[in-house]
This record gives sequence, C-alpha cells and structure tokens, in this order.
Amino acid sequence: MRCGDFKENYKKDEEIFQSYFVKFWLALFFIFLLIFPFIADHYVLYMANMVGFAVIGAVGLNLLTGFTGQISLGHAAFIGVGAYASAILTTRFGLSFWLSLPLAGVVSAFAGVIIGIPSLRVKGLYLCIATLAAQFIFEFIFVHWESLTNGITGIHIPSPRLGRIEFSTEKEFYWITLFFVVVGVGYARNLVRSKMGRAFVAIRDRDLAAQIIGINLFRYKLSAFAISSFYAGIAGALWVTFLKVVTPDHFPFILSIQYLAMIIVGGLGSILGSIFGAVFMTLIPEILNYLSEIVKLYAPGKEEIFVPMKEVIFGLLIVLFLIFEPLGLAEIWNRVKNFFKLWPFSY
Amino acid sequence: MRKISIYLIIFSLSIALFYMPNTAKAEEAVTICAVHPFTGRFAFAGIHGADAMEDAINMANEEGGINGKKIQYYWADGEYKNDVGIAAFKRLYAQYKPQCMWGQSTGMTKALAPEIKDRYKVLYSAYTFAEIAANPEENPLLFLPGPTYVEQFGVVLKYIAKEKPGANIAFFYSDTEFGREPIPAGREICKKLGLNLVAEEISKVGGVDISTQILDMKRKKVDYCIFQGFVTAPIQTVIKQAKDYGLTCKFMGTFWSTEKHLLDQLGPMAGEYMGVTAYSYYYQDEFPMIKKIREWTKKNRPKYADYRSQAYMQVFMGTTLFIESLRRADNTGSITGDSMAKALASIKDFDVGGLMPPVTMKNNSIPVGRIVRGNAKTLKFDPISDWIYLD
Repeated sequence: MRCGDFKENYKKDEEIFQSYFVKFWLALFFIFLLIFPFIADHYVLYMANMVGFAVIGAVGLNLLTGFTGQISLGHAAFIGVGAYASAILTTRFGLSFWLSLPLAGVVSAFAGVIIGIPSLRVKGLYLCIATLAAQFIFEFIFVHWESLTNGITGIHIPSPRLGRIEFSTEKEFYWITLFFVVVGVGYARNLVRSKMGRAFVAIRDRDLAAQIIGINLFRYKLSAFAISSFYAGIAGALWVTFLKVVTPDHFPFILSIQYLAMIIVGGLGSILGSIFGAVFMTLIPEILNYLSEIVKLYAPGKEEIFVPMKEVIFGLLIVLFLIFEPLGLAEIWNRVKNFFKLWPFSY
Repeated sequence: MRKISIYLIIFSLSIALFYMPNTAKAEEAVTICAVHPFTGRFAFAGIHGADAMEDAINMANEEGGINGKKIQYYWADGEYKNDVGIAAFKRLYAQYKPQCMWGQSTGMTKALAPEIKDRYKVLYSAYTFAEIAANPEENPLLFLPGPTYVEQFGVVLKYIAKEKPGANIAFFYSDTEFGREPIPAGREICKKLGLNLVAEEISKVGGVDISTQILDMKRKKVDYCIFQGFVTAPIQTVIKQAKDYGLTCKFMGTFWSTEKHLLDQLGPMAGEYMGVTAYSYYYQDEFPMIKKIREWTKKNRPKYADYRSQAYMQVFMGTTLFIESLRRADNTGSITGDSMAKALASIKDFDVGGLMPPVTMKNNSIPVGRIVRGNAKTLKFDPISDWIYLD
C-alpha cells in the first residue's frame, strides 16, 4: 500500500505526471474521452465541444491574467478576431480550415500584441480600461467593416474537410476540438515550467523586481498577450466553424467577463483551474436549465418563479465557491486528491 | 473528510439529476418544442410566448389534437443568448424528437438554419421577422407567422405614400442586427413609392442623448420618422424631446414597438405615435379568436386576464400554423420535414378567427399588416387603416 511520494532526483521532481497513480487515472480519462463520442448523444457532444472551446480560451486568458498578472477585459474581442479571420480566410480566400485555423491564431496574436502595448506603461485597473477599449473597438469593426465582415448579417462558414471526411456533426467535430484541447493544454502546461513561464510569474509577482533580475518586460508582457490572444483566436475559429456562422453578436463584452469568471472560479495561475473553470461555467448553467425544466414538469404554472431562480442559484454557487475556496476549484481538487492519495491510511 | 464527502455528494447528485429519465414523455404523440427567452432582456416577450404556445396547444388538444393524436409541448429558457438557445434546442431535440420547434431570436435562427434544413428537418419559426426565415428556396422549413421587417416597412411606407405623397421620410434605427435589417430594402421601397428618404438616424438601444438626431431631422424637414430596432427607449425620449425642439413630424414604428407598454410610457403623448402591427390586439374582442383567447385566459390564467401582449399573439399565430401544417401533413400519410414544408406552403385563405386576416403563406411569410395609432385616453392602439397587403 502506498503511503507517500518520494522523489530521488531532480528529473523525477520535474515530471508533469509524478506518480503511476496519476498516469493511470489520466490514461483512463483519455480512454474515456476517446470512447465518449460513441456513447453520448449529439446534445451532450455539443456541450462537450462548447466546453472544449471554453477550455482553450480560458487557458489562454489564464496565461495572461493568472500567470502574468495582466488583467484583460478584451478576451472576447480576440476570440472574435480569430473567428472572423478564420471565416474570412476560408470563405473569401478559399483557404482550407486547417490552414486558416493557425493563421487565425496568428492574426489574433498580432491584435493581442497591439492591444498589449499599453501594458508596458499601465497596469491594474488602467490596463483593464485599455483592454476594455479593445473590446469595443473590435466590436465596432465587426459590425461596421461590412465589406470584410459582412456586417450584422455575418458569414456562413463551410464545415472543415480532410480528404473525403467532412467534420460537420458534433461527433465529427469533437475529434478536432479534443485534439486542440490536448495540444493547447499540453503546451500551456509545459510553457509555465519553462523560462518564459517563470518570467511570466516573476512579472506577475513584482514586475519591478523581475526587471531588476534581468527579465525583459517588453518582450515577456507582449509575449503573454500574443500567446493568450493566439489561444483566444484558435478558440474563436473553432467555435464559429463548429456553429457554421459568425456574427458580431457572438462576441459581446459579457463574454470577456465570463472568461474572467472562468479563470477566477477555476483558479488563477493554474492550468487545471482553467479547465475546471471552463467546465463549471459552461455546464452548471446547462444543468440548472435542465433542472428548471424538471421542476416545470412537476410544478406547472410556477415557471415565472422557478425559471429565473436558476440565475440566482448560479450566482450564489459562484459566490459560495469563492467564499469557501478563494483559490478556486483547482484547490478543491487538490484537497480531494490529497485526501485520496493516502486513503485509507492517511497519517 | 466531511468537506470532501459534501463535494462528492453534490457532484454525484448533479450527475444523477442530469441523466434522470424524463417520466413525462409519452409515446404516439406529436411534439412541439420551444426555446423561449423567459429570462434576459427579451423576457417581456418570452413570458407571454411560453403561455401562448401552451394555450394554443391545449385548445387544439381539446378539439382532438392532430387527427386524434395528442400534441405534447416542452420548452426551455434560452435567456436570449445564442449559445444557451442553441444548446436548449439541441437538448430538447435529443430528448423529445419534436416535429416542430420555436426559437428565441434572429441570431439563433441564423445559426441553426443550415442544420434544420439538412439534419433536424423540423418545422421552425421564432421570435423574429428576419428575412432568413422567409426564403423557402433556401430554408423550406423556416417560416414567419407574420410579415418580415422589410414587409412591415413596406406596409408603413405604402400607408405614408397614400396619406402624403412625396413625404420626407427619416429612418431612425438602432445599431443592431434587428435595427439594420430592413434599412437597405426600405431605401428601395422609398424610391419605388416616390417618397424622399431625407435622413437616417442611428442610436443605441436605450439611448438618451438623441438631441443631435432630432435637430438633424428638424433641419431636413422630416414628415414621418420610422423607428426600427427598438422596443421602447429611446422612442419615448425622441417623441418628448421632438416637441421641445419644435419638430412636427409623425412617428411610426414596427411590430416590437407597437406594444402597450410603450403607450404606458408615452402617457398623454401616446396619440402622437403610430405603428404597424400584424395581429389583432387582446382588447379587440369583436374577433372570435380574440374572444376565445380572452375566455381561456380568464379561466386558466386569471393573472393575465386584463392584457396579453402582441408577442403572445405572434406565438399563438405561429403555433396555429404549426398545428395546421401538422394536420395537413398527417392527412398525406406521414409527418416528415418535406410533408410539413409542403403543407405549410399550401396554406391559403386560412381562417384564423380574426387574429389576422385570412392567412395565405407567401414565401413562408404573411405579407400583411395594419396601421394603428396610440390612444392617449385608453392607452391602447386603435386601428386607423384596414389590413394592407403587399404585392
């Protein structure tokens, strides 16, 4: 019976998956993810795809806000830039989805760098306002640059193809989403252990001190914006290709707030927290919707009381989670994990 | 330990409830599902719409359903958000496999249109009057239970052309999809009818600083100002401030702004507002269908006995067309996407008891409307024209 976790060298200490138990459960989880599309119906798969897009977007924002300490209220705008870039490249320039997707990430990263420039002079609430301006500037562009974005009408996007295979249904698209979630999360997990990741954390903790020890703030702050926006662009491109349509309505300011809520509820400065936050913020409202429908069946005529209650419950859940665990869902997970690590012989 | 157990219990309970089988589902029935904006900024319509659909279905069930088959009705709240609405659509479809679906918005309709055509094959309408749902060649299963926004503009402009040929027109619209949709077509209609479109004013929904737009309209000697894309604000502000600035034009609106709550806000100035509507009002009980709805509401929903909104009438009309299409499709032997689309297209001079004039589907919409004017004493809209048909 296992009663501890001892590392005998630095190599062991630096491993991402540090024990056989973690590797075992992770392998099991991957097997579940692989068989999931064969056991789930199209609605559940739709939600799984939505969770996947949210995970990619949330990981990106967590790299910028959670790890580098640069608060962004313009994440929805970067998602929008990626979404429109992909749609325009696919429909106007006839590029395949597989080429337009990384290019969408690059275009979004470029937009992120431009918007990130003020971060070199301002921080905190001031940076918040600078990124908020980006949100409104891009929203305006999506609506009014009609020759490019088709204005309010939006752009219809064809389903991606790979040879004869068309990825048009939730099940088919699930594989694309899963691939990019795994790659995105894997890259981010490694990035935060690299020199760049440690520079991000140093900037977050005290940018002046970071500069004194030789960290180039200009380079790393803009890199954080670029990487975060790249993730956002990929999330946006995947999302609208999945929906097959992009309109300016998809990227309201409230979406930026939702992404911030995801990383705060999940856990700032934690890749796992981004995943938990994305799952929480996507699935809990849906579960509450479903529950309100069940209540409706058993209490007909009381809809006006019960249905709006779900908003209250959702808000309450967020507040309660933050009161009982300010470090987010990732910390709850850590505690559960630690409890079972030595269970039943903890001492 | 206690804390961990609580987390585990909450998690297990959530999963269990999510996968709880729906016991209310019955077999051998026709199903209509809907995503209503029951919460969110369009809830003023969704709350009435959810009841309207249930009432129309219960009335039809009392009269024998679809050739003896009971109609079932399930709905979900879409919060007037695209992603929530689409998820609700997919959830309802996965659970109930309905034959007809009602959606919550133009955005949701646009997003789902390709899948409805190729995959779901349900007869579909929504809280929208957007052109996308009135194009049977592209989307044969989508329809509107009334005139499109462009057709509403057509009715208003036709009325103006008759009242004051060559009048100076201003379009006052919101900077939204809803606001901008009929504007390009509106420009063309003005040209066709010999009206002078002298101004186009844009404002935010709920905007309060509209003095620039009012002064511009005054300078351009506007005779008729047509609002599009607003439900209430800034319409009441424009009308009130226009008087202060000495602007003497007439104000008109389209479907969503010919609702009683706007007149309540206008108060003594209600008489200065006109609009186009597609349905008879709840208080026009000279029509048999309105009388029937009033009696039903009094008996089953006494809370709303005094008034039901035009959104109620829109959804009631949409459900009536669902039911009629289902009946006609069932008469052909099977209810499928194709048979429902054909059944819908075959609807001609269909009597709806005065809720609208006899209905003829034309390009999956009903291009007819009537002009109404606010009454400052009763705070109700009075019809000032007969039903105006578009060619």
